[in-house]
Amino acid sequence: MEFGWSIQEQAHRVRVREVLARLLPPDWEAMSVHGPGSDQQTAYSHRFCAELHREGLLVPHWPRAHGGEDAEVWQQFILGEEMWAAGEPRGPQYMNVNWIGPVLMRFGTSDQQARYLPPIREGRAIWCQGFSEPSAGSDLAALRTRAVPVEGGYRVSGAKVWTSYAGHADTCFLLARVPADEGGAGGKAGIVILLTDMASPGIQVKQIPALIGEGDIHEVFFDDVFVAHADRLGEEGQAWEIINYALQNERVGIARYEFSRRMLDRAVARLKAEGRWCDPSVQERAGRALMLCEAARLLVYRIVDGKARGLPPDAYGAVARWAVVLADNGVNEFLTEFLPAGLLDDPVQVAHHQRAIAAGIASGAAEIQLNLIARRRLDLPSERARP
Amino acid sequence: MKFALTDDQASVLNEVERMLDGLALPAHTEPVVAPYSDTLDAALAGSGFLDIAREDGFGTLDAALMVERLARSPHIVEAGASAIVAPAIGLEAGLRPVALVAGDPTGPARFLPRAQVLVADLGDHALAIEVDPARVQPVDSLFAYGYGRLDSLDGLPVRRIDDVATLRRRWRVAVAAEIAGCMAGALSLLVEHVKARHAFGRPLGAFQSIQHRLAMAAESAESSRWLALRAAWSDDDGDAAQAAGFAQSRIHALSYDLHQFSGAMGLTLEYPLHLWTYRLRALVGELGGAGAQARAAAAAAWPDAAE
Repeated sequence: MEFGWSIQEQAHRVRVREVLARLLPPDWEAMSVHGPGSDQQTAYSHRFCAELHREGLLVPHWPRAHGGEDAEVWQQFILGEEMWAAGEPRGPQYMNVNWIGPVLMRFGTSDQQARYLPPIREGRAIWCQGFSEPSAGSDLAALRTRAVPVEGGYRVSGAKVWTSYAGHADTCFLLARVPADEGGAGGKAGIVILLTDMASPGIQVKQIPALIGEGDIHEVFFDDVFVAHADRLGEEGQAWEIINYALQNERVGIARYEFSRRMLDRAVARLKAEGRWCDPSVQERAGRALMLCEAARLLVYRIVDGKARGLPPDAYGAVARWAVVLADNGVNEFLTEFLPAGLLDDPVQVAHHQRAIAAGIASGAAEIQLNLIARRRLDLPSERARP
Repeated sequence: MKFALTDDQASVLNEVERMLDGLALPAHTEPVVAPYSDTLDAALAGSGFLDIAREDGFGTLDAALMVERLARSPHIVEAGASAIVAPAIGLEAGLRPVALVAGDPTGPARFLPRAQVLVADLGDHALAIEVDPARVQPVDSLFAYGYGRLDSLDGLPVRRIDDVATLRRRWRVAVAAEIAGCMAGALSLLVEHVKARHAFGRPLGAFQSIQHRLAMAAESAESSRWLALRAAWSDDDGDAAQAAGFAQSRIHALSYDLHQFSGAMGLTLEYPLHLWTYRLRALVGELGGAGAQARAAAAAAWPDAAE
């Protein structure tokens, strides 16, 4: 057991920071505050990711057969940690390289891989994730968007909501249900994954104004949209297995605590400059927020370590997500209480606030993580258990 | 970054497990204060594990792993100060148990009724005081540990320790490891309880309100453990303050919830929950408590902060 970085890992982090310092434009901070789904950041992500690709830093963790370098899991994670701390200049594309690409490699046909992987690894693809619906959020299996089998494919009708990046996406990783009256199986087995061209006739995207910044959440309406069989990922009945694999990759990908940690550094610098740091109560609260960040960091590292060792995913993912929610909110509470002016005059602090208030909601409600800890870590009985 | 135990670490912990396996709990002779486990103490002393941090090829992390594992058990022995603190402040091996106190050297200190040495942190320096058992007055304790106080320092051999930062750093690591183990032990007991105990036709553990709070307790125990182990590995002032402060900050909620879910049973001495929670409640205020550790963590992270 050890908690240090190897020489190679340290060198990798230095290189990532050097590349970020070289590539990011002078107005990056102003751009970054709009969030990964904003017009500005999405547009910039095309330029940045293409440059990152040329540096060999967009998909080094991918297998060589798919254009990567078979880099160690920790290298991918260090890259993600530095990107998230910098405000995620990959914009929506972090999602492509973290889980959409790996899912396509594992479950996609050779035609799907040939079509979708090159744009991802070259930094010129934007995807969105068509999971949540008005009546199916955390309870994803309750989704009702219909995929009616027709000759050559499916006709999709329904609505998705809270969809990040939909306004700019080329392709949607869409979950829909083959209705029982059209021959679909019940429950999770009736779900299909359709790689849906967002330019297809019948798709309408509407941005939802929100507290968390622009471009992050949308409604997406599907009105009799045709999706060919060739664009179905996996077999009918296999979707839940694929989704679980995708979510495992998704949840490891984001080092949210690192942004919170660096916000704390920024806040302390300001408090010192304003002569307010000498107050012991301010120091104490900053220290408590720091502890939350570092606890979350270690739990996330534990997941990455498990992945690096080839262990099957376990309940640590849920434990870590809960810790990350506490860290983001702990830092946000500190900032809001001791630096309220920052919510009025510091766009970076505003951006952090916007990420923090969504921390327990985005990618599945935190309460679902608590359920998972109870069931998978503590082995507690199902809520439906009867003697 | 490797979170797996080495073969050596696994061997040591297996041997500790073997010592604990089947070890009978001594009967209580007084309320709340748990009997000191002489059998376990002797086994540990005989094994040399309490000096593991002094051995070539081993270190503070190995000691912290052992302390955390011991604290998961209901048996009470002094291990943290002996294994983690003593090697760093020049105390000779075998001079133990070691009691620690902050401030007044004649203030109450846990383990003092059995200790051979008392280390008192006086702020700008510390004292290592050889203890004459005849000079120790027992202190009535609400905690699971036995407490005592020296009548005075008169005539006792005393050595000055100038490196108080090292003392405090290791003390924080020891406290963090002990809290992490106590949390895990208490949680494990309660998880079994809520699986077995039924209400309204269901196991208690099937109610989501209970599941969520136990899940939160699990995160507290896990986070405390990894922060403690990292601090033991790095031997860094900031990491140690974070580890102790985080662990202390989670004691109140965890103890409340675990007692709440064990109901009136948890208020009895017959039910063993207090063997962990009344250690935790003693540890919550060590070294000034979570607030003091948080300020120390801030001072280390943002250096010109006054501690």
